[in-house]
Amino acid sequence: MVVVAVTGKGGTGKTAVAALLVKFISERTPNVLAVDADPDANLADALGVEVERTLGDVRELFQVTRESLGTVDKESWLEGKIFEVIHEFDRFDLLVMGRPEGEGCYCFVNNLLRGILKKFMRHYDHVIVDCEAGLEHFSRKTIEGADYVVVVTDTSRKGLKTAKKIRDLVRELGLNFEEIFLVGNKVGSEEAKRVIKEFAEREGFVLLELLPYDERVVELDLRGEPVVNLPEDSEFARKVRLIADVLVGWCR
Amino acid sequence: MVERRKVEIPEGKKVKVSVGEEDFPFEISPMFEGERIRKGDMFVELAGPKTVGFELVISLPPDQVEDMKATLVGIDVDEMEEGGRYPFAMIYYIAGEKIDPDIESVVERRNHEFQNYIEGYMHINSRDTIWIRIGKNLMKKGLKSLLQIAKATMLLYKNEMPFIEKIEALYITDRELIEKLLNELARPIYEERDARVEKLHDEDVEEFYSCSLCQSFAPTHVCIISPDRPALCGAITWFDARAAAKIDPEGPNRPVPKGDCIDPIGGEYSGVNEFAKQESGGAVERVKIHSFFDAPHTSCGCFEAIGFYMPEVDGIGFVHRGYPNPAPNGLPFSTMAGQTGGGKQMVGFLGVGLAYFRSKKFLQADGGWYRVVWMPKELKEKFLKYIPEEMRDKIATEEDAKTIDELKEFLKRVDHPVVKGVVRPVDGKRITEGWVEEREEEEVEEEEEEKEERREEKVPSLPKVTPLAQPTAPTIKLVIKNAKIYIDKIIVRKVEEEKTKR
Repeated sequence: MVVVAVTGKGGTGKTAVAALLVKFISERTPNVLAVDADPDANLADALGVEVERTLGDVRELFQVTRESLGTVDKESWLEGKIFEVIHEFDRFDLLVMGRPEGEGCYCFVNNLLRGILKKFMRHYDHVIVDCEAGLEHFSRKTIEGADYVVVVTDTSRKGLKTAKKIRDLVRELGLNFEEIFLVGNKVGSEEAKRVIKEFAEREGFVLLELLPYDERVVELDLRGEPVVNLPEDSEFARKVRLIADVLVGWCR
Repeated sequence: MVERRKVEIPEGKKVKVSVGEEDFPFEISPMFEGERIRKGDMFVELAGPKTVGFELVISLPPDQVEDMKATLVGIDVDEMEEGGRYPFAMIYYIAGEKIDPDIESVVERRNHEFQNYIEGYMHINSRDTIWIRIGKNLMKKGLKSLLQIAKATMLLYKNEMPFIEKIEALYITDRELIEKLLNELARPIYEERDARVEKLHDEDVEEFYSCSLCQSFAPTHVCIISPDRPALCGAITWFDARAAAKIDPEGPNRPVPKGDCIDPIGGEYSGVNEFAKQESGGAVERVKIHSFFDAPHTSCGCFEAIGFYMPEVDGIGFVHRGYPNPAPNGLPFSTMAGQTGGGKQMVGFLGVGLAYFRSKKFLQADGGWYRVVWMPKELKEKFLKYIPEEMRDKIATEEDAKTIDELKEFLKRVDHPVVKGVVRPVDGKRITEGWVEEREEEEVEEEEEEKEERREEKVPSLPKVTPLAQPTAPTIKLVIKNAKIYIDKIIVRKVEEEKTKR
């Protein structure tokens, strides 16, 4: 099992990248799990699929029902519900983590979740996680660790600053990753390319690709269409495919 | 209690039996846990949300159980169509010296785990919501009969749970029989087990269980979970902890032998004290699980409600997490929570789980509901039926009182037991003196010959008051008029000296 975390400041295009990675990786290998770990969940839309329930819904349901479960085994109750929340599609499965914790004590339920998710995820070859810059599920260890972290940034000051913060956070959390990659997005001019290359070198990222600002990505979004519908011969799609190849190949 | 007996197989049903050894064309290993059989890879689905099924473990006397025998009633896999869905039930009979009906659910729980060890076989949920998928890969490997699954599972049981001396399996794919047994045997037993939760008490069991899940937040905190005292986070009952401890005795939930009962009313046990001392690194030496004032239970900070003592009325109030306003003592939940958490024993505050309000031993040592003077309306209504009838109108809510003065008025008006003195129901002992009539002046005198630690009976005492230092000079007179005092430090000086200074 290889876990790839795709993260970055909101608005930099990480979900588009994550969705296309899911598409291309699942074309090459079976057993792919896509995980939307961003509380502002939109990976399903980007992939063009619909999800009825999230892990957060199940977790909240547990918090309110646990008293009336009597002597029913809580762990297998939870496991059964999570099984239902992992949605099966043609080429991949999708788990949407959903809302973050509410008030009250989550020690017990998170402890159960950790074990259950670990058990389920083990059986996938690739797990691609779309997560926000705070990396909540990694910090709580509901997802145990990432092998590869792909940080998406644009050329804005804020985007770069966040990229750096993520890098520091990943190290702090002791995620035991093998490599942190950087992907530059919406890179137009030569100047922009230079900025990102220098940033990558300075901060110790392995720079994977520089993705162009693609009007069609914006258009799809505007029309409410999934980004995976992007024509495969577009520069954006081709480059993400190259990233997918690197990730699949790197693991061997 | 629902009678435990072997199922009689009706005449005319298709029956297959296996008594000897079976060979397993499939692999069995924990690494297959969590293996997901997707719809496309599925040979058949058994039970599940779109049909019927259940799993059940029942204990029987040893002479009724034929060890390692497996029986199947109804069609087998070789007669099932690919992509089909069939009803399915599994019953296991177990026998052994240590086996009794109480242990059934602990054993039943593991069917899920063990069956998932089988390559190409997926088991989800429990009881009457089980959901099973047999993968095409398992059929390809050569699975011929469900009896092979039964045998493999029983072997795992005997291996992992040596107290099971004999085990026999009955698997059923016959819908009629499944539905009959579901209504006559399985569901009544599940209900009986759930009802038992309310009826089991501290004295009925040999051990309690600990939980150290939140020790990362409070290293000296350990919860002691007993049938009458569930975990303060609200998540774990004695049954949950027992099941978890059976599976992983070195995990966050471990058995705590009671030892000798030192105090049945306060709930103090020698074994529990030992355990507490060990686990808290010596920080906690004694615990009374049903006491507010004496060696109270510690908390990590995630309790669902907090009890607080109000000396002005000599009563205990409760406020739950999520209640937005300050309690009559002027403090909101968050501030009090800060006092109580972190694994310290803070006399005057106690974090509890909401389930504790349902306990028959609720704050037994201190008078239980007869000592409770205030709680938010939302909380009171939720647990109204557990409050003794005569106390229901005597416990104030925010609608009756928001401040101490209002509370005092209310309690006097309804003649709450704290006013005259509380008699605790469990043994009829009078445990508080009641309020003293207010006088204009209250004088407190300290004299040379007096003993150092003299508790003040005249003013309701605050917990952990530092004893006054002994004056070595002529008598000091302290005059206290109508005041609520919190003393951080008292400086005692000779009267003559006072004149020359300043």
